[in-house]
Amino acid sequence: MDWFNTPEDLSGKKAGPLLVSELSALISGLLDDPRLQDIRVRGEITNYKHHGRGHRYFSLSEKGGGSTAAVIKCVMWRSDADRLPFDPEEGMEVVVSGSVTLYAPHGAYQLQVKGMEKAGLGEKYLLVEKWKKELAAEGLFSLDRKRDLPRFPNRVGVVTSETGAVIHDIRNVLERRYPVEIIISPTAVQGETAHTEIALAIRRVAGLVDVVIVARGGGSFEDLFPFNNPAVVRAIAASPVPVVSAIGHEVDVTLADLAADVRAPTPSAAAELVVPDRNALLLGLQEQKARLGTALLGRLARAREEVMAFRDRLRPERFVRTIAERTQNTADLAERLERACSTRIERERLLLAEMKAALVGRSPLAVLARGYCVAEKDGKLVKSTGALSKDDRLKLRFYDGSSQAIVERVDHDRNV
Amino acid sequence: MTETYETKIEQLRIIIGKIEDGNTSLDESMKLYEQGAVLVKQCETLLAEAELKITTLSRDA
Repeated sequence: MDWFNTPEDLSGKKAGPLLVSELSALISGLLDDPRLQDIRVRGEITNYKHHGRGHRYFSLSEKGGGSTAAVIKCVMWRSDADRLPFDPEEGMEVVVSGSVTLYAPHGAYQLQVKGMEKAGLGEKYLLVEKWKKELAAEGLFSLDRKRDLPRFPNRVGVVTSETGAVIHDIRNVLERRYPVEIIISPTAVQGETAHTEIALAIRRVAGLVDVVIVARGGGSFEDLFPFNNPAVVRAIAASPVPVVSAIGHEVDVTLADLAADVRAPTPSAAAELVVPDRNALLLGLQEQKARLGTALLGRLARAREEVMAFRDRLRPERFVRTIAERTQNTADLAERLERACSTRIERERLLLAEMKAALVGRSPLAVLARGYCVAEKDGKLVKSTGALSKDDRLKLRFYDGSSQAIVERVDHDRNV
Repeated sequence: MTETYETKIEQLRIIIGKIEDGNTSLDESMKLYEQGAVLVKQCETLLAEAELKITTLSRDA
């Protein structure tokens, strides 16, 4: 620009007037000061504009004494703005990082913002660490406290926002896997008072169900912040039934997750954890059914074996043999009986014959038959002549008859 | 899902165990089998007919 090669004076100032662009370049150079580059500035967002092309224009201002004490215009290009985990809003207290630049066409300096976080975030991180220590000291995160989930819950309590994808996902999974009764305990899941609401919602539903799911979709550290609050942690720890947590994405671990009995990576996963799979149950039932049939068939087979064994022991040949033996025995006995009887009869008969013979031998008639006769007087046998007198009437009995005789004389032989 | 499903499936297990156990009489086994078959049917029905029910608690309670 120094067409006339005008010599500069010792202070470095040009003798002639500066062009605006020269001045602008000079200022821009001054702004390269390290104190204005890659700095962090805290302030409140005002005049926020989300440009159609994605760039964000706003002012960062500082209030003091009731009015604005200082303000600086800011710009954030789309490439940087798209990486923000939250949407900046009017009035939001933030800490931005960037550099001061000059926008020559407007003759204005501005803060070109590369990154932004909500003010107080650092404090919140520290707070969570503090709570974590305190609650851990109370034993609320202890593994000994973890309870098993019921295998077959009747009712599942869901603490989450009434609207949004979370309740939908849970509902879909339960409907597919095993339809149970869902009791929704609605609550705000972010905001200043969310932690009180969440804790209340947990207490409200815990007594009515067999298991509780506390769920929230993904979000920034700030969004999930209520789930770090001791009120929520204590409500989970105090729940009479097991609690499954599914808060944010798997990488975000809140204190609520640490206190829950089971932590699920997503709300859908939480729903899968709390109920069994109906299809798996049906398969198991089929197995049981098959086993039932097999068991009975087995029992029948054993019974059949028993019957066979008994039948072997009851073989007819054995019967026949036994009967034959008995028959033989009976026959033997009968024979013995008969023999014994006939022997006896024979003996008796002989005895009788002998006796008869003896009897016959002794019969008076036998003597008479040999030519003797006996005399009877007055019906009495006369054995001696002493019983006789002259003229006694005697009856003389012969073997073949008798006769009457009169005694003429009695001769006594010698004294008898 | 129900406690009754759980108790039914448990009963079924016990019944099968009894039938498999040789000490149970054949008569008893047949009766148990009939009971078991009824339980299987009931369980199948429970699984097949279960429906999702949703209640939403009031927030002011």
